Amino acid sequence: MQLALNEDQRQVLDFVEALARPFASAPLHDAGLALESEELDAALVENGFLDVMTVEELGPVTAALVVEKLARLPFAVEAAASALVRPLIDPELPRPLCLVEEGRTSALLRFLRPGATVVVVGPSGVRSFTASEELIAPAQEDTLYAYPVAFLTGLPEATIAHDVDPVEITRAWRVAMAAEAAGLLGAALTSVVTYVSERKQFGRPLATFQAMRHRLAEAQVVTNTVYWLAMRAAASGDYADAAMALLHAQEAAKRVCYDYHQFLGGMGMTLEHPLHLWTYRLKLLTAELGGRGAQGLAAAEALWG
Amino acid sequence: MQFEWTEEQDAFRRRIRDFLQANLPGDWEKFSEHGPASPALTAFARTFCVKLAEVGLLFPHWTQEMGGEGLGPWEQQILSEEMWIAGEPRGGQYMNVNWIGPTLEKYGTPEQKARYLEPITRGESLWCQGFSEPDAGSDLASLRTRAVLKDGNYVINGQKIWTSYAGLADTCFLLTRTSDDRKKGITIVLVPMDTPGITVRQIPSLIGEGDIHEVFFDDVNVPETARFGEEGQAWEIVAYSLRNERLGIPRFTLARAALDRAVMMLKQRGDFTREYVRIEAARCAALCEAAGTANYAVVQKRVDGLAIGAESSSARYATVMAERAVCEFVVEFLPEALAGASPYLKMHHQRGIVAGVAAGSAEIQLNIIASDVLELPREPR
Repeated sequence: MQLALNEDQRQVLDFVEALARPFASAPLHDAGLALESEELDAALVENGFLDVMTVEELGPVTAALVVEKLARLPFAVEAAASALVRPLIDPELPRPLCLVEEGRTSALLRFLRPGATVVVVGPSGVRSFTASEELIAPAQEDTLYAYPVAFLTGLPEATIAHDVDPVEITRAWRVAMAAEAAGLLGAALTSVVTYVSERKQFGRPLATFQAMRHRLAEAQVVTNTVYWLAMRAAASGDYADAAMALLHAQEAAKRVCYDYHQFLGGMGMTLEHPLHLWTYRLKLLTAELGGRGAQGLAAAEALWG
Repeated sequence: MQFEWTEEQDAFRRRIRDFLQANLPGDWEKFSEHGPASPALTAFARTFCVKLAEVGLLFPHWTQEMGGEGLGPWEQQILSEEMWIAGEPRGGQYMNVNWIGPTLEKYGTPEQKARYLEPITRGESLWCQGFSEPDAGSDLASLRTRAVLKDGNYVINGQKIWTSYAGLADTCFLLTRTSDDRKKGITIVLVPMDTPGITVRQIPSLIGEGDIHEVFFDDVNVPETARFGEEGQAWEIVAYSLRNERLGIPRFTLARAALDRAVMMLKQRGDFTREYVRIEAARCAALCEAAGTANYAVVQKRVDGLAIGAESSSARYATVMAERAVCEFVVEFLPEALAGASPYLKMHHQRGIVAGVAAGSAEIQLNIIASDVLELPREPR
């Protein structure tokens, strides 16, 4: 048991932090509800931060740490699937990666765009294809989610079959989403804490009222444990750990998002405040892989048969 | 960052399990339904802890200077986990080895160490913790039990409540007021429980017979040398002790073991096929594991020699969430467990429902998290 970061992990996170610093605050963004940056994406690829899992001394925990860190940015980056799932399928698959469950290919897909790799995971195996323009239907223009999203109109005739175990890919997918949720939860909490510590009513900061303090403290407890369960699941490679990590993350997201907007009052309804950039990613993640119930069933099966 | 136990740690855990296997009676599970502070379990612990001491498993985590093996915080954690899952056969003596001993070592006078440490290391002494009072619960600093220094003796008058183990304890780690200066006016006195003027009354409770008590002090006289630390130093010493205490009981492991037991019973009668039961069980398991990792993160800080701060309150609250979830799961899906069908689950329930009340209420933990982890501006006083 060694829960402190090792020297390599500290260094990688310091590098990521330095690289991400210019993207740490949200520019005013009334045009669309999701923020993306090609420049940030390119810098991450160029510096190999999405490939750390395959580096022997770094591995899946470091990849999960990178994903967690990047999710804290107001910008949505397709890091989770690329860093934690792609190396298990084919490290050369073109990004972004869109993971979709077999039989649910009509779902809203994050980061779907021409050139993206769609990976269909299910009982019959793991297959991928490159999304072309005619396979993509845009979502509503002012969709509320803070990820770029679109729909598949269908599947191409030709797909590439990958010789990997779909169960293992689903496991890694859960870890990836849990790590992403951990970062989103952390950043959303920080953002709310800052606001309610500054905003005064009745002559004192909102954060001095116990009605908020206790709910925020509970949010800290679950946010902290989402982080730890995600890291443990990344480390162990255990199926039950992964299912519990995503279950706990989806529970946490459901628990805190409403409160966070509530605590910001009218500001929480505006695009002026960046809170939605985290919460409206979290909300979409609560639907990932069938949501809490599906993670619960998967965990129960793995734990108790 | 890695989450595996070392081979040595696994071996240490096996050593404890083997010892428990060999030294717990066949009807132990039924027996452990007696609370950890019950007369029956206390009496059992007095022999059991002597045996633990003989094989070096009573305080192996203590430093070698203190007579331990210097094994460190992870081994203390493993020891606590195995004991607590087994129903805590050490009874109240777990407190001795978790915090009373180390606190005596850090703050005690040579005479106090000589008098109290040795019985602890032999597995022969039982302590109680005289903290809460009828009007000083969460607001502990408002306590009023007076200790007045007179002719070289402290004369103590007042009342304590919720005191575990008081009925059978040898010594009380007692918080008293020596001046009106709120936190700075509180002083610790180590009081032998057979001192004239002490009356102990049991409080019938949900958490097992003989578990909690009222303790009355009427002109109780102890020599000045019974003072522990300086006058007014109690708050500092207690803060040090409680940081150990909050980690002390690995409740999440028993909660997880109880959950596994409940699932086993549900499977046996064919009730673990319903999806909502399975989902709820998984949610409970995730909460137990979540609490475990949060606690381990705090243990890591101890291992690294770092000061433990408010994150221990966060870990504690995670534990409270897990305990609550498992207690509710059992009542909802296996109500008969608390009515005789499972002594183990009843034992867990009775210990689990205290998690949010003992060692600082859950709300106090949330206050600490808000102020010291989130660093929110403080509430006006």
